[in-house]
Amino acid sequence: MDSKSSDDRKKSISITPVPDARTDTVSLTDIDTQDTTYRITTRSQLEDLLDTIPSLGLLHPPVLIESASGYSVVCGFGRIAACRQLGWKSLSARIHAANQNRFQLARLAIADNSLQRPLNLIETSRALNLLVDTSPDRQQLEKAARELGLPVNPSVAAKIRQLCRLAIPIQQGILSDTINLAMALELGDMDAKDAETLVALFSGLKLGLNKQRELLLLATEIARREDISVQQLIDEQAFQDILQKADLDRAIRRQQIRSLLRKRRYPAITEAETNYQKQVRQLKLGKQIQLFPPRDFEGTTYAMTLYFKNHQDLRHLNAKINKILEHPALGKILKR
Amino acid sequence: MRISKLFIDRQVVDHPVTQSIQARLDVPAIIAQSARQVHEMVASAPDPVQSAKEILYLSRNQGAFFKRCPGTSHYTCCDYRILHIGTFCYMDCAYCILQTYFHPPVLAYFVNHEDLMAELDTVLAQKSIFRIGTGEFTDSLIWTQWTDVAKLLVDRFAAQEHAVLEFKTKTTAIEQLQNLNHHRKTIVAWSLNTPKIIHTEERGTAGLSARIDAAARCEKWGYPLAFHFDPLIIYDGCEQAYAQVIESLFSRLSAENMAWISLGTLRFPPAVKPLIQKRFPDSKIVYAEFVRGSDGKMRYFKPLRIDLYRKIIASIRQHAPDVVIYLCMEDDEVWQKTLGFKPADVGGLPHMLDMSAAKHCHLKLDAIP
Repeated sequence: MDSKSSDDRKKSISITPVPDARTDTVSLTDIDTQDTTYRITTRSQLEDLLDTIPSLGLLHPPVLIESASGYSVVCGFGRIAACRQLGWKSLSARIHAANQNRFQLARLAIADNSLQRPLNLIETSRALNLLVDTSPDRQQLEKAARELGLPVNPSVAAKIRQLCRLAIPIQQGILSDTINLAMALELGDMDAKDAETLVALFSGLKLGLNKQRELLLLATEIARREDISVQQLIDEQAFQDILQKADLDRAIRRQQIRSLLRKRRYPAITEAETNYQKQVRQLKLGKQIQLFPPRDFEGTTYAMTLYFKNHQDLRHLNAKINKILEHPALGKILKR
Repeated sequence: MRISKLFIDRQVVDHPVTQSIQARLDVPAIIAQSARQVHEMVASAPDPVQSAKEILYLSRNQGAFFKRCPGTSHYTCCDYRILHIGTFCYMDCAYCILQTYFHPPVLAYFVNHEDLMAELDTVLAQKSIFRIGTGEFTDSLIWTQWTDVAKLLVDRFAAQEHAVLEFKTKTTAIEQLQNLNHHRKTIVAWSLNTPKIIHTEERGTAGLSARIDAAARCEKWGYPLAFHFDPLIIYDGCEQAYAQVIESLFSRLSAENMAWISLGTLRFPPAVKPLIQKRFPDSKIVYAEFVRGSDGKMRYFKPLRIDLYRKIIASIRQHAPDVVIYLCMEDDEVWQKTLGFKPADVGGLPHMLDMSAAKHCHLKLDAIP
């Protein structure tokens, strides 16, 4: 992402003024806010505007474009919504003719947002798509993106452009900082219901990216192997019993969900691990001895670490090891 | 699979083997200025692996034809030798490691038979026991539809008494083997799997009964046979399914004529997994319980391997108590727990297979240490 601050951009940007706009008073009923072609903002909170408009009025008039049924919005979705809530019947707006250059309007719509504040990922995605859809050629597209503080690296831009086309729950996951770009794109390749289930799971358990990846992998692989959907898997009683324990610490719920998924994905491996731990507990190794099995029980070499400070400690451990050597649990561990 | 493009390296345009292949392959030829041109074409395709299966590249092998099998020190290797006649395959097995072994994979055939035979002469002149195969980097018999390589090699091995040639295949392309005086110095081997796995994971290969029919014909023509249950794939009901394959095998073929049966469970470099997921989206084979083996490849969790091996070995032993069974790339623990001995107990795996080769192929035992 571009790291330029919005102030820096204000200094460097030179958006060409859009000609032929007239200022007029427009009835709010004539404005079609369902047409979101030029909508960049993801904000739906209007509190600030509802507080200031009654006392200060509209400092910046919205920008509209004439349409077959009245007007569509180029800039000012929030302002128009606030005025409607305040019971206004009409407002003053800058109005462009229906045949106005779309690329110019796109730049205006983006600048109206990006010069005020850093855009979030969904807004950046909308802005990039709007530029791509309206720009006459690649050169002008890149120039405009650079001026507006949007990412120009083709690979990064291509990834970000996908975001605003993803299912709404995934977009909401990005906006709430539950998931990042990479995870969003992974989820975007999945069935929408499955993705929604996972976003809810990640959000409910407040998982970091690594844990998200682990759970995503476990859940999708189980689902594929068992010919079920991820949603069906997570809807199972065993998972829901954990997820619905609101009084249980979130970290414990995270651990329980992970264990459940891992046990389902790797039943033989988790059983072997459990049996190994059971036998090790019987050995009563204490804090001064650690026993390590071969990785994944694939090799045949075990490792033991001893912690001691002096001869006496070591003699004590020696005696303990002799006892361990005779313990049937060690035989079970080594025999596997 | 149909070859849609033929590239001929400019150095071998006039080679007689090239011209012979061109005459049998009805595809317009393109002269390649270098291997890179072909590599770039394959690599730029949306699915390079699929593309590589449709483009045949004829060239000269600039390196060695005779190589050691790339086993690893972590598991017991059989000391197999490879005769490098070409690379890749037009059949399409989901688990095939050749998909990532070559970068990119290219279906290439080396037309400089004169160099191949000269190198082979040098090897065979050593009068050492060798088990030599052409089926490691490609399928041994896919080339017989365009070349006489099988006949050429069978004839050459027939003229000596210390080495055996093994053709490994999933095809039924055995016509070229008929009426050859092979003197039992060529073992014809099939990779076997259950009908379900052949159907879902081995696109374009011959069916199980067709493979067994072809083996029966080769047996009738006097060839010793071998079978490779590799990769064994774990799925619900697989033990019964493999038992049925074994039943079918021994109902048609004589255990006494089998030089060996190898067993190896599915294993693959980690890079193969995403390729399988992409190219075989319905395949479930990568969702079993794998761990990273000591050689870096993904393998089934060891107790699962041991369990399957035990069942399959028991099934084979019911029909053929004395047939030589070996495990491909497993450690002593797995050998001991499944076959009841370690390779070192019988002089090592290479020795065990050399002895079987000597017995079935009438090799001169004086070369065996």
